[in-house]
Formats: sequence, structure tokens, C-alpha cells
Amino acid sequence: MIPQLTNCFRRRKLEGDLDRELRYHLDRRVSDLERLGLTMEDARRQASLELGGMTQIQEEVRDVWLTRWLRDFAYDIRFSARSFLRTPSFTITAVVSMMLGIGVTTAIYSLVDQVLLHALPVREPGRLVLVDATQGEQVADGFGGWNLMSYPICHDLDAQKQFFEGVFCRALTDVNLSTGGDYHPATAEIVSGNYFNLLGVQPALGRVLTQQDDGAANANPVAVISYDFWKTRLGGAADVLGRKLIVNMHPLVVVGVAALTFRGIDVGEVPSVWIPASMSDQVIPGYSDLRDSPTRWMQVLGRLNEGVTLKQAQVGLQPWFKAMLQRNMNEAGFPKITPEEMQEYLHSSLLLTAAPQGHSSLRRILVQPLWVLFAATMVLLGLACLNVSGLFLARGSARDREIGTRLALGASRGRLGRQFLADSLLIALTGGFLGAALAPLAVRALIAFLPKNTAENALHAGVDTRLLLFAFGVSVTAGVLSGLAPAWQSGRRSLVSSLQQRGGTAFGGVRLRKVIVTAQIALTLTLVVGATLFVRTLDALMTKGPGFVTSSMVSFTLAASRNGYSNTDGSRLIRRIDEAIRNSPITQVSAVAGVPLLTGGSWNNPITIQGDMRITTDRAVNLNAVTPGFFRTMGIRILAGRNFDERVARPSGEMGFRSAIVNESFVKRFLDGRNPLGLRIGVGSGPDVKTDIEIVGVMSDFSYRGLRDESEQAFVPFLEAGSGDATFYVRVRGTPESAFQTLRAIVHNADPTLPVMDLRTLDEQVSRSLNTEHMLATLSGGFSLMALVLSVVGLYGVMSFVVTRRTREIGIRLALGADRWSAIWMVLRDALLMILAGIGIGLPVIWFLGRLIVSQLYDVKPFDLTVITIATLVLGTAGLSAAVVPAHRASGVNPTESLRAE
Amino acid sequence: MPSSRFPIPQGTLDMLILQIVSLEPAHGYGIAQRLEHISRSVVQVNQGSLYPALHRLEQKKWLRAEWRESETGREAKFYSLTAAGRKQLVVEKDSWARLADAVQLIFEEGN
Repeated sequence: MIPQLTNCFRRRKLEGDLDRELRYHLDRRVSDLERLGLTMEDARRQASLELGGMTQIQEEVRDVWLTRWLRDFAYDIRFSARSFLRTPSFTITAVVSMMLGIGVTTAIYSLVDQVLLHALPVREPGRLVLVDATQGEQVADGFGGWNLMSYPICHDLDAQKQFFEGVFCRALTDVNLSTGGDYHPATAEIVSGNYFNLLGVQPALGRVLTQQDDGAANANPVAVISYDFWKTRLGGAADVLGRKLIVNMHPLVVVGVAALTFRGIDVGEVPSVWIPASMSDQVIPGYSDLRDSPTRWMQVLGRLNEGVTLKQAQVGLQPWFKAMLQRNMNEAGFPKITPEEMQEYLHSSLLLTAAPQGHSSLRRILVQPLWVLFAATMVLLGLACLNVSGLFLARGSARDREIGTRLALGASRGRLGRQFLADSLLIALTGGFLGAALAPLAVRALIAFLPKNTAENALHAGVDTRLLLFAFGVSVTAGVLSGLAPAWQSGRRSLVSSLQQRGGTAFGGVRLRKVIVTAQIALTLTLVVGATLFVRTLDALMTKGPGFVTSSMVSFTLAASRNGYSNTDGSRLIRRIDEAIRNSPITQVSAVAGVPLLTGGSWNNPITIQGDMRITTDRAVNLNAVTPGFFRTMGIRILAGRNFDERVARPSGEMGFRSAIVNESFVKRFLDGRNPLGLRIGVGSGPDVKTDIEIVGVMSDFSYRGLRDESEQAFVPFLEAGSGDATFYVRVRGTPESAFQTLRAIVHNADPTLPVMDLRTLDEQVSRSLNTEHMLATLSGGFSLMALVLSVVGLYGVMSFVVTRRTREIGIRLALGADRWSAIWMVLRDALLMILAGIGIGLPVIWFLGRLIVSQLYDVKPFDLTVITIATLVLGTAGLSAAVVPAHRASGVNPTESLRAE
Repeated sequence: MPSSRFPIPQGTLDMLILQIVSLEPAHGYGIAQRLEHISRSVVQVNQGSLYPALHRLEQKKWLRAEWRESETGREAKFYSLTAAGRKQLVVEKDSWARLADAVQLIFEEGN
């Protein structure tokens, strides 16, 4: 195969050589025969007779050079290319269709690949598994993202050597990081000592973390930095090893730089620095001895032994897991839980999932939207293929004479079909090439929809081999698919009819084209309905809003605890800054909250309520600590009861909250119509929980985690929380941008080393929290617009072809007295039939697919009648207007001329 | 063409070419001449099929070709045997011998 292919490129030389070789043979033979006494003429005749036909030999040798079909194919491609160049408008339309289809598919696939499919660049990622437990095991407190386990579990699992080569754990956390100068927020990954070794990640410089680094607590102040961090923040300094990093005010020594390709195990969160778990006390303020506590704060991943399947390990580990549950229960520090919780706890089991792509919260958020978009692009690509098919069929009928002639000269139908395939492959590959060239631009635009920090760190818009292979595969498939209809059509062509009709064609071509247009309309309808659903969702969420004021609002977050502040000192600092902001001329009103709103996360816990009887909420309640000014600042109404006191109510030295304000949903779900005011609650679910917090007020519902959030909430006074970590909400005078400077200055004044994080307007925070919805609505909207254009073009093509074909018939009808409206109706009826049939096919498909996207929708059903009516109207209008032009042309047919033309 | 010469059996042309070239490098015309000569004019080679066969063998890397001056002083394309070609020749000779023996055996059995 390879030599044959290379022969393609040295045709000319081969031909010249063969020619010389054969001429030498003939000349020698002639002169030999002359020597035997023949005349020159006889000798010539004799020699060429012996050799046989020159052309035949040349042909046979050419067959050796390139196998037969390859040669034919090369001819076909050249023939296709030549005829394409003669019809530029056809070629451009077809190539642009393919370019759009393939380019968009490739761009979305790039994200699908990066976020969902790409295995980590580590040793044998296929053997990595994520360890978690089923519901019920989580009795201990936790903090962090998903799949949380404790360090002791990780440590014990690491000893299960019959299943695992080893088990490691990691937790992501934000830290204040200084390399000597200013402090900046950075992402750190806290890891067990075997992390790098088990992943098989090598250092680019120095060494990676080892088991020794995770030895005695607080004894190994070391860190490994990422390659990116080394290059960008440290300028790639050669003497980086041994330098000091200040992480949350604690010095750590850089012992190594990780390999260039390794960016942690979370595709959405790229750490700047890796820190051994032995140093977690320093890195995570407010906790101590995390390595010995049942607190759930890490993701646990294991590397299975060679030959051990996930299933075997999962089954084999259950006895160990159950024994551990029993053991834990008998330990002193085990939380008091209800009998039901105990049941659930003992019934929980260990859960392993394959994790070749690591663990990622971004993936969790994007998995469905990305597949939805990928499916949409596939539909769009299908539409593009159908469009090209339709164009080819139209061109095929224009080329009828040529094809009829070729058939008459003895070309086989297979041979002609192959010609059509070469045509469509050439178009698809050209379109695919252009599409792949444009894909990086599209990917960059796509990444802009994602959270900014993710986009900058984690995802790239480059084209790699995987992507090129994908684009090539898609192009070839699209080429073959779009060539099928024309090839099939040519196979059915009757030689006699195509020669009989002058410039005409069998009507089957039209029927096939109508089928194609109908399919296009069905596909377009699914896209338009999908897009309308996502637009409605976004619109509904925006209209609903978060339930609090966002205009002129600015927020930012401080984490004093990461700068070494104790709770008391930190809360004093926050109060000082709060004071300064309230007294600043830029401020209308301002407030402080312990946990930021609309970031996806929350402080949550079950609540114990002491009324006539003691009950525990059946699900976690979202909690927050706020200053009394919060409600006025945010425009949240207090519906009953009162606001928090301006001053700390509890006697000094006493800990804990004294009062709470709950929201309407809380009252509705848990209190069953009872008067909430005066009821006492406690945070937590065990029998030991003290219910000494009095409900003093009820507030209106508003969004906490995100705009879809309609959760039960209970807020407590920030002043009683005594924390140095807080988010400020400031309603400013003038433009928010001008306030940024003042706010930074106020914080700088209070502590110049304290970084101001997430300083932005609340409007921006709202739109950030709607990233996914924005992406779905915009992209699906764009896709359905493209789909509309493609199918309108298809419909227009068929209808104008039909009118051309039926000019004579229309002429006769008009001559016999039919009026022009009947001619128009004749065309429009055809179009209407196709549109209705397309809609008829599309609706059940939509009904079926709609159920798959329910979780992405808000305030609209997947088979919403209004939405479907709107989409159908849009499609119908677009389709009919495409048919109006040919219909108008039909009504303008001049009977005399149309008859004379025949 | 005198009809007393029988046409060359299918598939043996390649082997004969390899055999001829194994003695010394030769050009197409030379090979054709030697084919006639060696077989004492009993085997009739359709000269037309010689060149496709030569190019096929060259493509399989059993023959190597180069242009050089021939005995008449003109440039001709000379074919010579490669190491792979030499191995192939041994294989073909061997299987030919076995085929011939087998045929012989069958004939003797018949007597």
C-alpha cells in the first residue's frame, strides 16, 4: 500500500522511465532483426508485433504502480476537482455547509474531549478508581466538594494490597500565597505522601513529594510547585529549589517542580502548589489534626493492582468496610445519631468508580450540557450532509447528459457511484479541513462561556492529534453519507430514459430530494424546539432573579484566617472594615455575610427543631451568618418578627448563636403552619444537639447557591459567629467600577497583606451563576439558526427545481385558463406538505429526547405546547417564505414561451 | 511464431526472471533474449507480459533497477537481484522442485 501511494507523487518520472525502457527494447530488437537481414520496415513491424501493443503494456505497468482502484480513485478525484472548479457557486455552497457542520462539531468535541473524555497524563490512568461510599456513611462533619472521605479511610485502604497498588487522597483548597512580595489567592492541592508516586508523575526539577513528607504532623514544611506557576509567577528561575513560599503566613520550602504535562487530577481546577497532608493544619485554618479525624474533606483515589477488576475490588472490600463502620461506631468520638441514621449508616457500602480522568467538579456540572450540545452539533452535521446530498442530486440532474453518455459508453453503475462518492468525499474533506482550521476560534469563543478561572487555567483552544483524527473521521463519514443518496440515485437511473429526455431527468430524483428536505425539517424542528426551551429557561431564571437587589451592588470576599488571624482577631478586623465601608462616601448601605451567595456552594447542616416535640429536618438546611444590615442592603423583606440586634446579644465568653431568621420555605416545609417565632432550633441532627437558638424572624425566599435554588434557609447573626472570613455586600453611589478602588483602599488600609478576592458587581455574579444556561441558550440558538438556514436553502433548491421541471405543465395549465393563484398554490402546497411531514416526524423525536434534558430546564416542560407552537411557526414561516420565490416564478410563467421552448 | 513452442506456464515467469537476473544484472531486452536462449527456444514468452512482471518484482523489492550504459553504449534500465529477491528465488525453486517431483510421482503411479 505504501509504495503504491508514494507512486502517486512520482507519476511523471515513472512514465518517462517506462517510455525510455520500452523504446530501448524496440530499438534493440529492430536493429537485431535488421542484422538478420530484414528491411527496416519489416523489422519495425516484426518487433512491435512481438512486443504487443505499447499502450496495453503501459496500462498494465501502471496497474502495478497503483493498484487498480487507487488509480481509478485518483482519476475520480481529479475529475471531481476539475468539475467543481467549473461550478464555483455550487462548490462554495457545499463546502461552506460542510465547513459549518464539521467545524462546529469539532469545536464542541474539543470541549467534550478535554472535560469529559481525556485521561489524565499519568501512568496507566485506566487503573485509577475513585473511592466513595453510598448514602448513609456521612455522619461526620465535612467540608469541600463532592465524594468526600476522611484521611484515616484513605490510609487504611492503602493497606489493602491484594486489591490496590496503593490508595491516595487529595483535597483542593484556596490559600493566600506569596513568593516574597504581594499575597495572591492561589489553589493548593493537599495530598497524601504517595500521591505523585502512585500517579507516576515525575519532577521537572528537584523532587516530588514522598511518603516521608507526609510523616510527623507539621514537621515537613515542603511544597512542590506546578510547572505553570514556576514559569509565570517565578519567571522559571533556575534556583527555585530551596526558595520559600509563604502559604497562609506559614513558610514552605520548594523542593520540586512537577512535570510540564501534569496539571493535577481535576481538569477544572489546576493547583499552583502541592502540599503534603502532614501540613494541613497550616494550610487549612480553623482545623487541626485533620489526618487523625473522621472529618470528610478529601477525595480518595486508588490504583488497582494489575489484573484486579473494579468489581472484584468493590466486592472484596465490603467486609473490611463493614468492619470499619462497626469499629468507628464503638469509638469514643462517634457522633450521637438517631436509630434510623444508625440503620442507614450500617447499611452503607463502599462504592468504586473508574476514574481515568481524575475527579472534577467542572465535569459534574458540564457533563450533561456538553453532551446535549454535542448531540445538537451532530444533528447540525446531519443537516449539512443532507444539504450537500440535495445539492448533489440537483447537480446530478444537471449532469444527466454526461452521465447518460458515460453509461452508454459502457461505464458500470458501480463505477459511476464511485465517482459520486469521490465528489462528496472531496467536498467533505475540503469542508472538514476548513472547519478544523476554524475550530480553535470557535473553541476560544466556547471557553468564554465557562467560568473565567477555569478557562484560563484548564482548557486550551489548540488543535491536537486527537482532534484532527476526529475531524478527519467525521469528514470521511459525512462524505460517505452525503454521497449515498446521489450514488443510489445514479444506480436507479435508466439509460434509455436519460437519453430520451432532453435535459430532463427521471422524477425519482425529485422524490428523493423531497425526502431529504423533509428529514431536514424534522431535524431542524428538534434543534429549534431545543433552543427555544433553553432560551425560555434562561429567560425564566433572569426574570425571576435571585430575589434580592443586584443593581449598584458590589461584593468581595476576605479570608483573614488564611493570613494567620485568630477568630477573635479576624472578626475584629472584619468589623473594622465594615465600619470603614459604611462610613465611606461611596456607600449607600452595606452588609457582611459569612458565606458568599450564588457561587454554587453553601454552609449546610440538618437542623433540630424544638417545638411541642423535637424533630430533625429531613434534609440539610442552608445556613449563613449575616450582619443586621444584610436584609436592608439586599432588599430582602422580613415578613414576621424582627431583625438581628445591632450588638452581640450573648454575654462575653459564651459561644454560639442566640437568634436565627428562617425563610418562608423553611416554615412551609418543616413547621407545618405553626408560628415559627419563639421556636428554638439547634444546628445538627444528633440527640446531643442543644436547641438554644431562638427563631426571631421570617424572611422572604431568595437564591443562595444559585438561581435555581429554592432551599430552606436559616440565617444567624454574623457578629455572633466570630469569624474572620466574610463576604461584603455594598450598595454603592455612582458606578460600581469607581467604587472598586475605594474598597480596595479601605481593605489595604486595614491590612496591606490581605488579598481582596472576587471583587465584582452582583450583576456579574448573577450572570456567572448562569454560565451554563447562557452557554446552552446561545449555542443551541446559534445552531438552530444555522439549521434553519440550511433547511431553507434545501427547500428553496427543491422548489425552484420543481418549478423549472414543471414549467411546461404550468404553461399548459395557464394556457387552458387556470389562474395564476392556482400555480402559486401548486408550489406552496408541495412545500407545505414537506414542512408538515417534517414536523410530523420531528414531534415524536422531540417528545422522546425532551425527557433527557429535563434537569437543564427551569419553569418549562420539555414538551411545552407554547414552545412547540412557537418553534413550528418559526419553521413554517421560514419554510414557506423559501417557497414563495419559486411559487412567484411559477405564476409568472409565460404560456407561449414555455411551450415554444419544448 | 512457430507453434512448436509452448507458452510459459502461469506464474513461472517471475521465477525465471529472478533466475536470469541472479546470474548477472540485465536490462529488459537482455532478459527477453536470455529467456529465449536459455529455454532453447522452447518456451514462448509473451514479451508484452515481461515488463509488467519486471515492475511488479521491482515494487516487491526483489529487484533493484538502475540506469546505466549498455553494451551498445546507450543508457538502459538494468535490473539486479536484491537480498530479498535471492531468498525468494530459493523459495520458488524449492517449491517448483517439489511440484515437479509430485507430478512425476503421480505419473509413475499411473504406469
